Amino acid sequence: MAEGKKFVVMATHGPDNPEMATLPFVMGAAAAAADVEVVMGFQGEGVSLVKSGVAETINAPGFRPLAELLQTIREFGGTFLVGGPCISSRGIVEADLVEGSHVVTAGRFVAEIASATNVLWY
Amino acid sequence: MTTQLTDAEVSGLGETTVVDARGAACPGPMIEAKKAMSGVAVGAVMEVWSSDSQTQEDVGIWTEMAGHTYLGVISARGYERIFIRRGK
Repeated sequence: MAEGKKFVVMATHGPDNPEMATLPFVMGAAAAAADVEVVMGFQGEGVSLVKSGVAETINAPGFRPLAELLQTIREFGGTFLVGGPCISSRGIVEADLVEGSHVVTAGRFVAEIASATNVLWY
Repeated sequence: MTTQLTDAEVSGLGETTVVDARGAACPGPMIEAKKAMSGVAVGAVMEVWSSDSQTQEDVGIWTEMAGHTYLGVISARGYERIFIRRGK
């Protein structure tokens, strides 16, 4: 059973690469469905994925729509952490982010990764 | 993980909850199964319909991780019926 396991899934690709943008959500949704605790982390261009309205524009061929996967992870209790400096440098503010997003700094990512059983980095 | 069931074995499972995930892309069938499982009584059987040949492996792994029991699969016309018993 997956109880007691925790995945941190880091997303660093943005909408310009739909497949690489979608893969973290595929793995996050699959893990959450298997009762794994899921923390989604967004850094670099990946922060664009959780800007309101952006997920709905990403449909990588062969995959479920990104917005649907995002909603699934949220529904299964996943956490969304977004790098503060990465949104600042892109002119994004916390109010622009999808519901349930938390703006964090490197220390929080370190703490989450240190306590995770597995980390996936895209 | 593949266990081929016979028609008689499937009949012996009795009433099932059907999750029609035909046409759903990975990891869709797992997600649909997870969502539907909350409506299945502990010990009861769910069957997931999938037209994706890789789904039975995915669902089998999910079943084990989520604490359920993978019972097996039987082919239908253009899709597979994957059977799971709820374990918790």
